[in-house]
Amino acid sequence: MRTTTWVRVVMAGLLLAVVAAPVAQADQVKLNVALGKPFLMADKQQKAFLKVGLTGFVMKDEAERTPVNVAVVIDKSGSMSGEKIQKAKEAALMAIGKLSAKDIVSVVAYNHTVEVLLPATKVADKAAIRAAIQKLSAGGNTALFAGVSKGADELRKFLDKDRANRIILLSDGLANVGPSSPAQLGELGLSLIKEGISVTTVGLGSDYNEDLMTELARRSDGNHAFVSEPADLARIFKLEFGDVLAVVAQEVVVKVTCAEGIRPLRLLGRKGEIDGQAVTTTLNQLTSQQEKYLLIEVDVPAGEENSVRDVATVSLSYLNMHTKTTDRLTSAVAVRFTKSEKRVEGAANKDVLVAAVEQIGNDTNKRAVELRDQGKVKEAEKLLKDNAEFLAAKATKLQSVRLRTQADFNNDNAGKLATDEWKEERKRMRDDQLQREAQRAY
Amino acid sequence: MRPKLITIFLLIVLVPVALLGWLGLRVARDEQEIVEHKFRNILLGKLGDVDATVAGLMADRERELLRLTGNGAADAASLRALARTSPIVQQTMLLDPHGVRLHPPPAGPLNEDERAFLRRAEPIWRDPQAFFRPPDDAPPPRAALPDHGWHVWYWGEGIHIIFWRRAPSGHVAGMELSRVRLLADIVGALPATDPLEPALPQGRVVLADAKGGAIYQWGAYEPAKGETPQASRSLAHPLEAWQLRYFASNTDLKRAVGGGILVTVVAGTIVVAVALVGLGIYIARETSREMREAAQRVNFVNQVSHELKTPLTNIRLYAELLETAPPDPDRRARYLGVIVAESQRLSRLIGNVLTFARKQRHKLALRPAAGRVDERIAAVIEHFRPSLAAKGVDIAFDAQAGEPVIFDADALEQILGNLFYNVEKYAADGGQMSVASRQNGAMTTIEVADRGPGIPRGQEERIFEPFRRLSNKLADGVTGTGIGLAIARDLARLHGGDLRLLPSDLGARFELTLHTPRTQEATAQP
Repeated sequence: MRTTTWVRVVMAGLLLAVVAAPVAQADQVKLNVALGKPFLMADKQQKAFLKVGLTGFVMKDEAERTPVNVAVVIDKSGSMSGEKIQKAKEAALMAIGKLSAKDIVSVVAYNHTVEVLLPATKVADKAAIRAAIQKLSAGGNTALFAGVSKGADELRKFLDKDRANRIILLSDGLANVGPSSPAQLGELGLSLIKEGISVTTVGLGSDYNEDLMTELARRSDGNHAFVSEPADLARIFKLEFGDVLAVVAQEVVVKVTCAEGIRPLRLLGRKGEIDGQAVTTTLNQLTSQQEKYLLIEVDVPAGEENSVRDVATVSLSYLNMHTKTTDRLTSAVAVRFTKSEKRVEGAANKDVLVAAVEQIGNDTNKRAVELRDQGKVKEAEKLLKDNAEFLAAKATKLQSVRLRTQADFNNDNAGKLATDEWKEERKRMRDDQLQREAQRAY
Repeated sequence: MRPKLITIFLLIVLVPVALLGWLGLRVARDEQEIVEHKFRNILLGKLGDVDATVAGLMADRERELLRLTGNGAADAASLRALARTSPIVQQTMLLDPHGVRLHPPPAGPLNEDERAFLRRAEPIWRDPQAFFRPPDDAPPPRAALPDHGWHVWYWGEGIHIIFWRRAPSGHVAGMELSRVRLLADIVGALPATDPLEPALPQGRVVLADAKGGAIYQWGAYEPAKGETPQASRSLAHPLEAWQLRYFASNTDLKRAVGGGILVTVVAGTIVVAVALVGLGIYIARETSREMREAAQRVNFVNQVSHELKTPLTNIRLYAELLETAPPDPDRRARYLGVIVAESQRLSRLIGNVLTFARKQRHKLALRPAAGRVDERIAAVIEHFRPSLAAKGVDIAFDAQAGEPVIFDADALEQILGNLFYNVEKYAADGGQMSVASRQNGAMTTIEVADRGPGIPRGQEERIFEPFRRLSNKLADGVTGTGIGLAIARDLARLHGGDLRLLPSDLGARFELTLHTPRTQEATAQP
């Protein structure tokens, strides 16, 4: 029994080596499967964190980069008038300036009706694009759903696996024409991601519906950004276009199969589907050098000292944007039992633990928002403060600057629950939550 | 007579105008209805195109789902994978031939989305066979039951749609469409608002959900709150809960209808009314003039007969006296004098009547000849001297028109005869008649004045109208045809001059002017 386990581990390692070897040095997504604690205390049923990290490779030169197909969807309802629409135009123009002739762009503007300012077109005639964007002026209601739908329609004209397909939605208000609930927009996002379309949502000012905007982004594996000042739009557009231009892999499917006896309990952060022993998640895009990960809490049954137990095998498939091939990788991870607590602590994988703490802290932060939404300000405040304390303690223990920052953030949140700034703070929190949950680039 | 005429006149004008107006309005209204109907049909046609676009999309969905389910023999695993990978499918289900649910598994582990599906599809689990049973009002299937179709139910935020497919084994697979995705694709397939090349320059199409809320809309027109659409229709099955509404501005409808038609009708009616009123007035005036003229003619004949009868009676009386009892020479001479005077009066009357008749036939003409005006005046005075003298009227004649000129002596005699006769008839009480003539260039002026009662103020012109005699009082006991002065003025005007009544403190003073070229001048002319 013991030997077979060992053999299996070795076999898995060999398999990984064999699969990864031919392209390991080149343009290949890095798959990193690790446990928070590779050594566990023997003779005791316990929980463990399993992290599956995916890191995009570096595209060597600009000519190699993935062509993009971007639909910029801009809210031009009445509330956008003045500086906002002006800055939005500037930001969009600036961002489109970064594209080259192999890219495709379309511009859609909506109020209560939708106007396709620039049908999907190759970025060759930048003057025409500029003219189309300059036509924008604000007024009317907010048919956000229709705007995104039209944006998707424009994207579909050139929908191509070899391109990074993305809708960039800018809105400062509430959707009030057509489907307008976070759940409905989430459903739309979920449907779009099935086609490989992500929606990045940029919320401007303090009046947009952050739940709707984050839900649309989350479900479509897009980014979300809260921009409090119109002047900041340019920076965000720059980051977003930087993100989409750095896409190196698409249609990423991660399947984690837990070994017999190991029970997947829950996913932290990024969502996925738990079906028996299998945990599956999909990511639309991986960008250069950006790590995204799946964090699973599993239940590990008691094991004898010095025994090794398979925890899970991970298979990854993705469309390599450099080689235009679908690459497959597999990896496996096992745990060893010991009676030495020192050993357990000494071997602890800080990276995995930090990620786990970050996601737990993030979930607590979300719960605090729910409490505040129910009017339970005191409870929310206490929760955030406790969370900050927990994060700070872990930050010290794990020597993590990242967790330290997160602790401070929670403290700040706690201080703003009952102030005028709550509306904005909530947006900031939603933004931060999604960023941590999906390991967003910015 | 008059009120009756007015009534008839009003009836003649008002009845056709009212009839015309009414007919016009009816035509206008019918026309408007027809055009509105046409307009609405055009709008309905446009909505039909939209409906066809959506129906096409649904047909694509149906084809895609048939393709995805292959031969129809689906299993739970492939259905679950379908829900995960297909953008258009939200959830899937599988029933065995007895309607027992196989997927989502009744006992097995369910994910969150599947649990939500079980909740919202509650009506299906209650009656699993119902959703592919044809609706009650549909005609009974002639051949075999269809093996696939749409099923719609209401839950939560609106309609939910399932595409079901029955495998030969009797298993029924169901694929719930993502409603949001369906909407997004409908939005994508429908036009956008394009201000440059507007598909709908003056309209707005709204796709409304079952609750009437706008799902999507396009078009430049902004309907007011609560405005009713010009046309609306429901989408085809299975989306009949959603409605297309076409809003268009009323002014455009009116323009399309040709709002001018009402204006045209009103304007036309007014024109016809004015024309009819004009015509009526013209006819009424003509009729009353002719009636007046007819009355005048009767009157004229009466008067002329009476007028002629008086001298004739006198002539006959004196002639008989002479015949039956030959009197002494003095008396005989007086009788003959009376007969001569009465004959002259008779001939003047007849002359007047003839002149008047000629004028009526527009055949009044002059026969000018050379002569001296004063000689003619003197001759006429001599004619009247006996009768005037008999009534105690002195005659003074200041003759200053002795030059030989061209003129119509008969016309002059007729004019003067009428003037003198008037003096004899009406102004004999004044006891004086003065006549003065003078010549100035080619004009001769003759003044005839008396010291009688004169012409009352305001009547100066009326005395020249034919058949016009002043007050009954004046006419009492006096005979006349009433055409004397009228004829006198006509002749004077024909003669290049005029006959006017001059203002006077005492009696009547007439001034007669005649164009009388000198003989040499006249002869000098060709």
